[in-house]
Amino acid sequence: MVAAKKPAEVRIVGGKLPPIPLPTNCPGCGVGLDHEELRRHIYVCVCGHHFRLGADAWIALIADRGSWKERYGDVRSHDLLNWKVPKPYQATLEQLRDEGLNEAVRTGTCTLGGRSIWLATFDFRFVGGTLSIVAGERLARGMEQAAASGLPYVLVAASGGARMQEGVLALMQMAKVNAAVGRLDAAGVPYFSVLTDPTFGGTAASLALLGDINIAEPGAAIGFTGPRVIKQATYADLPPGFQSADFQLARGQVDMVVPRPEVRRLLAHLLEIYP
Amino acid sequence: MTRHGRRPDETTLTVWQVVELARHPDRPYSLDYIRRMAPDFIELHGDRISGDDPALVGGIGTWHGRTTMFLGHQKGRSLKERVARNWGMMHPEGYRKAIRLAQHAAKFKFPIVSLIDTPGAYPGAGAEERGIAAAIARAIMEWFRIPVPIVAAVIGEGGSGGALGMGVADRVIMLENSIYSVASPEAAASIVWRDNARKVEAAEQLQLTSRDLLAMGVVEEVVTEPEGSARADYEATAVSLDEALHRHLLQLLAQPIAELLQHRYERFRYIDSLIHAEPQFGPKI
Repeated sequence: MVAAKKPAEVRIVGGKLPPIPLPTNCPGCGVGLDHEELRRHIYVCVCGHHFRLGADAWIALIADRGSWKERYGDVRSHDLLNWKVPKPYQATLEQLRDEGLNEAVRTGTCTLGGRSIWLATFDFRFVGGTLSIVAGERLARGMEQAAASGLPYVLVAASGGARMQEGVLALMQMAKVNAAVGRLDAAGVPYFSVLTDPTFGGTAASLALLGDINIAEPGAAIGFTGPRVIKQATYADLPPGFQSADFQLARGQVDMVVPRPEVRRLLAHLLEIYP
Repeated sequence: MTRHGRRPDETTLTVWQVVELARHPDRPYSLDYIRRMAPDFIELHGDRISGDDPALVGGIGTWHGRTTMFLGHQKGRSLKERVARNWGMMHPEGYRKAIRLAQHAAKFKFPIVSLIDTPGAYPGAGAEERGIAAAIARAIMEWFRIPVPIVAAVIGEGGSGGALGMGVADRVIMLENSIYSVASPEAAASIVWRDNARKVEAAEQLQLTSRDLLAMGVVEEVVTEPEGSARADYEATAVSLDEALHRHLLQLLAQPIAELLQHRYERFRYIDSLIHAEPQFGPKI
């Protein structure tokens, strides 16, 4: 009998998490929050509520300290459909950039437990983490590079779907990125997808659920059509927990539901055993 | 208003009139075209996993002397049939059936014709429970590996991921009064304004007509409809559609398979490149 490989000694956080805006009380248990304490627990309340993290926080969480090299950050979105109402799209983009956000997907290379990987993370704060031309371009370029170099690809998803303001070209990004996932697949490169709250629409129906291993965060809502639209369209009463991570686990769409403090060690272990 | 013989860019219809024509209950549906293109059409059923999806018809027929796999969204004509066909909105079984039939076609080297006419994938609890997101995701990925030529046409409504799940092809063309959009005008209005009554404004913003898509480089050709639109003359529309699809297919049949698949990849990989090359669409990324 061969002994199982020992899990790598890996910290639960790669670097230092940035502070994130938080409510005064936890929406899960209602208890008042100590922000510094919560940051030490990577924004997971003792009750198990997982607060949403932006791309910067996910990069800090997953990448070994100092190893992150952002790629294609200069690929920028612009208002190609001349979208005017209710708010000019160009103004939305400029405002978000002024707030220091760089599109709904950031991608680059880093190490995790010393192993080089490609990492892409969605950012729900940027127009609902919507799949845009720039998001698609950054994802597809990274996947093509990973397929060519053999580096494993790790995705963190948090998205409302395709971006309305970029019209049918946003829809086409689903095909663009899935074609690139096909390249990863054909190259035999491991692709691990971490699905966080929320992952819906065109993002769920493209790359997010195509991981070789799909890992969902506890409590994450994951689905195609959002509950509001389902109710509008079918007048159905949806049971509690509909489209939750556990719902998707029970229905065979994700491999596991893993609390955030275990995600990094799990990924490091997977990278060890998927050479 | 006479439209016969006019170029599609000379339309005088408003965007919302085009949306209404694309959804008109008398507009020809997939089977109206398939039975005219291949009178010996034999329908095939089922995903071989759990069910059959009547919102998608699939089967084989002889088209210009060549056995061809036809796939198409099918809306219903009567209320009873509409319910049975679920208004052309596919469930996960439909996408699995589509890929099964595409692989069947690949096995026998039959080219594939895909006709798109759906408001979107079914937005209901049952579809969610059976994995509609993953079914669409996998279908989109698998289409890139199907080693036979695929020609697709949007014949009415091309709604969202539900349409794209049937829309990965080597050539995609559109009938003049059809639409193709990231979301239906109602859904877009609901998302952007939280008010689906603002669908007309949303439709105008979305740039979803065949002319818009041709200008963006998302489709290769717009097929002109007869005077009074497709519903006025099924026969003439079917002949025009047949001619355009076959012309594209003949070009594709001349390509080696490796080259065909590489071009299919590049078609979608760089589908947004035209918009960046045109100065009126803003700076190049």
